[in-house]
Amino acid sequence: MMKVPFIDLKREAKSIGGELISKTKEVLDSGNYISGNNVNKFEIEFAKYCGVSDAITVANGSDALRLIIQSLDIGPGDEVICPANSFIASAWTIIAAGATPVFCDVEEDFLLSVETISKCITKKTKAIMVVHLTGKLCEMSSLQRYCNHRNILIIEDSAQAIGATNKQGEKSGSFGIASGFSLHPLKNLAVYGDGGVITTNSQEVTRKIKLLRNHGLINRDECIVWGFNSRLDELQAAYGLLKLNYIEGWTEKYISIANRYSSELTDRITKPKTEEGCRDVFHNYVITVSPKKRNAIMHEMLSKGVETKIHYPIPLHLQKCAASLGYKKGDLPNTERLAESMISLPIYPSLSENEIDHVISSLNNIIKTSH
Amino acid sequence: MKNFYPQQYKADEVFKINHNYLSEQFTDCDEILEKIKSIVKDNDFTLGSTVDEVEKLIAKEADTKNAIAVGSGTDALMLSLKALGVDKGDEVITTSYTFYATIGAIVTAGATPVFCDCREDYNIDYSKIIEKITPRTKVIMPVHWAGRACNMEKINEVATEHNLKVIEDACHALQGEYKNKRCGGLSDIGCFSFHPLKNLNVWGDGGIITTNSDILSEKLRLLRNHGLRNRDICEEFAYNSRLDTIQAVVAKHVLENKLENITKKRIENAHYYDLILKDILEIKTLERSKDIKEVFHLYLLQAKRRDMLAKHLQSNGVDAKVHYPVPMHLQPAARKYRYSKGDFPVSENLAENTISLPVHEFITNEQIEYTCNLIRDFYSKS
Repeated sequence: MMKVPFIDLKREAKSIGGELISKTKEVLDSGNYISGNNVNKFEIEFAKYCGVSDAITVANGSDALRLIIQSLDIGPGDEVICPANSFIASAWTIIAAGATPVFCDVEEDFLLSVETISKCITKKTKAIMVVHLTGKLCEMSSLQRYCNHRNILIIEDSAQAIGATNKQGEKSGSFGIASGFSLHPLKNLAVYGDGGVITTNSQEVTRKIKLLRNHGLINRDECIVWGFNSRLDELQAAYGLLKLNYIEGWTEKYISIANRYSSELTDRITKPKTEEGCRDVFHNYVITVSPKKRNAIMHEMLSKGVETKIHYPIPLHLQKCAASLGYKKGDLPNTERLAESMISLPIYPSLSENEIDHVISSLNNIIKTSH
Repeated sequence: MKNFYPQQYKADEVFKINHNYLSEQFTDCDEILEKIKSIVKDNDFTLGSTVDEVEKLIAKEADTKNAIAVGSGTDALMLSLKALGVDKGDEVITTSYTFYATIGAIVTAGATPVFCDCREDYNIDYSKIIEKITPRTKVIMPVHWAGRACNMEKINEVATEHNLKVIEDACHALQGEYKNKRCGGLSDIGCFSFHPLKNLNVWGDGGIITTNSDILSEKLRLLRNHGLRNRDICEEFAYNSRLDTIQAVVAKHVLENKLENITKKRIENAHYYDLILKDILEIKTLERSKDIKEVFHLYLLQAKRRDMLAKHLQSNGVDAKVHYPVPMHLQPAARKYRYSKGDFPVSENLAENTISLPVHEFITNEQIEYTCNLIRDFYSKS
């Protein structure tokens, strides 16, 4: 039986292994492990790729969002709206800054919208954290209009969305006051450990974050604000820089796999829709099925050798850690229903045509026989 | 704003006797790279099995039950405070003579740093801690500066008496000892850094926490990984602060093959400096104590006309540095705590007179003699 793992990182590492090793040696020979040339170059190239003036590297994607919030002076007494179907880090960053996360519901496409956030706006709302989940952009132009009008900041969580664009070709990370990216090994643009990047067009945000990520130091001996240590290692920056050369090709591969799934999978499941002219980058390919059958379908897929996952089975507002925020089941009906219906299929550039065939035929067969 | 470190590193290159020895240290990098390749096979880039192995090795080094690897030494301190429940409104007593990260960690945890002066040995003045205690005090955070253990007996005594917790900032002090007991295992929690310039270093940022408490250990494992009990259940909103598996491979290699020698060599070098410098009147070296095994992350001395001496050494190829010229209570970042010059005379005096000489494992006796001769020349001519 053919086995299709949900993700297999060694395939990619193997395909560029030689280059990775020579980059590693280069960094070692330089004797410079922190905040050197690779970090500087990677930041310049990353900013260019996203179409913004600045990119600032940090230790991980969670820190990226946390530092953004802190650089915007959002803190105790302030509210930040964010969707509940996201990785916990999105909400944590708001809590870490001392502010209060307000969970909003999402549309059928898993994304928040003007309609879903408008129910959550209060006098205390300082910002909205838009999560471009699965690599699909939220409807940014209407969100921007809505927020600008009300003086609410937009923070983008672009952890899953590098290279995603709207109809105008504007990229993820270029819409908000600032955007956080993750370079975690499972991301489309990944390094070999933890890493994160912030993009922004605000010089003020850049200045503050560069201070905060490095102990608040303006030079070796002078500390003007108590900060953290949140830096991307030179080694990881060198890997990131190398992989930026490949990201366009890899992204096309994600999209072509998604296209095959969308055209060849049975219409008896709900598949993601890409709006004409937009570019969704499919960090995950998420289908929805009847909640009653979801677990059985995943189980049968696994018995056919196909590993699937759920992103994410428990929405943030129902997590144990959110208990003190006072939400209950039923508060976010769409989010809760989607959490019970969704299945993520394997999708990564090194997936072979045979493996894609196998995923498609397995799922189609299961759906056919289960009805 | 520019990053200043590359310039700093570049400046180092002109010196013959460097503080920065990193290009010499990993001549065996092929061996490490082979080990890194093998982790690729396991898709094991964060929290991998090598991280577990490093935790076991460090627990052994610090003689504690548990060790928990994290993203950096700063994060180690901050997460330790969080694990002890430190939050807004709490106070943490620490020394004014330290690196910014000690204070950054306290502030990040939401607490207020309360500074205490240090003694002539750069470590917190245990006799003055008691004056700083208020009903809001939660933790005492002594720093084993330069790799010299604080008087932990006295500090623990004060802590127990007032029901406070103690976190050792042991970032400089791996393998250091107080009364034959290892730093990091002398209190509730110990924190270490694996920064490239530390005695045990990796190829980027990294850190680790040591503790004998299973409860704290479990709490710290949650805190470093988003508060996740498993992939889908989040117990509490928490941080992302993990040691990369790649860096764990480097740490393990250094622990198993180099650390003993690094410590030994640094101690030998320091003692050789002590021996040669003891008869220069303008120089004051530290008195060594039988109770303390110092591991000399830095070799510090107090020198008359410090800045002139530093220039003299630097222009002759010796990378003398100052760790650090401005104590924490006088940093711009500390303004809101309203300290002023004169509050901590010992710290302030040390900050004006202290100089550090290269002491790492690649420094030879000839280089030490050369450096000491330069110092002698400086004072005899002027």
